Amino acid sequence: MLTLSLLLLPVCGALISFFSEKPAVARWVLMITATGYTAICAVLPIHPDQLHLTETLTLAADPAGFVVLAATAILFLPVSVYNFFWMPRDLEKNAAHLGMKPSTFAAILMIFVSTMTLTTLAQDFGMLWVAVEATTLASAPLINYHRSKGSLEAMWKYLLICSIGIGLALFGTMLLSASLNFASASFGFAAVKRLTAHGFFNPAWFKAGFVLCFAGYALKMGLAPFHTWLPDAHSEAPVPVSAMLSGSLLNCALLALLRLNDIVPSDLEGFAAGYFKFFGFFSLAVAAFFIIRQKDYKRMLAYSSVEHMGLIALLIGFAAMDYAMLHIISHSLIKMSLFLLAGNILLSYGTRETALVKGLSGRLPGTAAFWLTGILFICGTPPSPLFFTELVLVKEAGIAAGSAILALLLVIFCGMSQIALKMYAPDKNIGADPAGDKLCRIPAIALAAVSALGIAVAWNMIG
Amino acid sequence: MNQMNELFLGIFLCSCLMLAVSSRLLHCIRIVALQGVLLGIMPVTLAIGHGDIHWSVMIINLSLKGIILPCLLYRTMLKAGVKRELEPVIGYSLSAGVVLALILFSFFISGRLSLPAGASDLAGLAVPCSFAVVMTGLFTVIARKKALTQVIGFLVFENGITLFGAAVMREHPLIVELGILLDVLVLVFIMGISVFQISREFSHIDADRLNSLKEEAR
Repeated sequence: MLTLSLLLLPVCGALISFFSEKPAVARWVLMITATGYTAICAVLPIHPDQLHLTETLTLAADPAGFVVLAATAILFLPVSVYNFFWMPRDLEKNAAHLGMKPSTFAAILMIFVSTMTLTTLAQDFGMLWVAVEATTLASAPLINYHRSKGSLEAMWKYLLICSIGIGLALFGTMLLSASLNFASASFGFAAVKRLTAHGFFNPAWFKAGFVLCFAGYALKMGLAPFHTWLPDAHSEAPVPVSAMLSGSLLNCALLALLRLNDIVPSDLEGFAAGYFKFFGFFSLAVAAFFIIRQKDYKRMLAYSSVEHMGLIALLIGFAAMDYAMLHIISHSLIKMSLFLLAGNILLSYGTRETALVKGLSGRLPGTAAFWLTGILFICGTPPSPLFFTELVLVKEAGIAAGSAILALLLVIFCGMSQIALKMYAPDKNIGADPAGDKLCRIPAIALAAVSALGIAVAWNMIG
Repeated sequence: MNQMNELFLGIFLCSCLMLAVSSRLLHCIRIVALQGVLLGIMPVTLAIGHGDIHWSVMIINLSLKGIILPCLLYRTMLKAGVKRELEPVIGYSLSAGVVLALILFSFFISGRLSLPAGASDLAGLAVPCSFAVVMTGLFTVIARKKALTQVIGFLVFENGITLFGAAVMREHPLIVELGILLDVLVLVFIMGISVFQISREFSHIDADRLNSLKEEAR
């Protein structure tokens, strides 16, 4: 029952919000829905609560899915609270060029959360594909909330590129199904894993299916060289959506790759790990290259997401699953805080160009302090948990690969902190904007939670 | 019945070649509709002699892919006010050559893949055909400029995947099948709206001119 209510609660909220047509109602409904959603997630037991759609098709939360579900829930609540205060201020400034009503926006946002929930609960490849494609469809209109040529272009690229990518994943899914010689009655993860573990599969078809599925879901996850749509979509979207896209949606695509990695039989493990390592490392390199010459702070955050997806893929490639999960949760929280802080800056300065953001420490002191903290955290400065996951990754990777990863991380650290420091630097000509600074408390709480998590991890590692 | 299915597969290949050479968007939409109708009928003709026929799936498939999607495309075409693809990235005669090469290539590849045991009798022909349709769809997305033609290319791509599913493997569970159809329907709906918005904002729907968002431009 809990599983079903988790799926249906956001849909009910969306209906209320859509038909109310009032921004005030939509804000309240969004916040109440998010609170309920998080509460249900907190009490959701991991295995027993299964929802049987048919005899062979079930929805349930397993450990890997639960981590991604938890990451979605702990993002949804702060984002909706932020949205509660952000929406009226945004309406003041941008009411003239909205692509849709604020109530419709809130409704689509809730549908989007529902589709992500379905992704985490799906227990077979068919349902997983349907859910991942649905996340694309539900999130695409949100990018165009502030109507402009740029956002329209970003939405079009996102729709077309992601749909084709996910189409490839559907083709790959069918090839995988064919590779099993149609032996399985269902296409659930557990059943497929049993078959491949016993060698009941056709290797050529399995490899072809794996490659297509990998390419499709890696595209959705933003691994380079399939990342081209990501910076556009994540920078053009309004901030609450950017936070959800970077913090939650990428994880859902990642979960699909984890499911895929899970069914790989032991004699093909090297083959699969090679893909994760290569594309992970490539993403890291591409992100480093684009971050150092970045002129737009939201795009910088988007490229940082590409970097972290690469790091998670590397962690999976080196079979450090627990640390990959830790990385997922911490990256989601920090990236959400950074996007929400970027929203404050955007509202106050009205530009996304770093060169035009001057004297942040004087104008928005709270936001500026947490912005700097967040940037340091996302680059893996202790007590951020990312420090420990990156440490483990470098250790697992060995001397040559490890030092290459470290060098790229250093480049990214230099690039991001240089941009952040330039924005932070005091400027006497800039006056304070106390009203714009009020919204920095929610990201601050998230950052505090992340540092607590990091200290706990450190404690665990020493002890 | 097998001869009839082979005929259908032949029509599929012909429709790919026709798509490559037609410049009128209405023509392209008709080709998509034709493929949709064939995809609606094929599960039934395949199942004759094998027992259970899913009439509900057939009716939904036929009405969605054969009627509703083409109608949505047609409406978008009227609203956006475009009739022809005037300057494609790759010319029409060259496109025909490329699609022909893609068809040959897919027969070459599938000749080297051993068919999975338990596949239907038709699989030997259906595998290369579906590969060819998938690649033609992708080629159309790359080789044409208009956003609407790219949507058509995507639908052909998706038809190829469905063809593979219908002719080679056993069906997905019904809910998944319906979920896939629903996704495609919503996708075409949203894409239709955005094509219309693009035509209003930019006064053209050339997707290759949607290029303001890149690193150098900033």
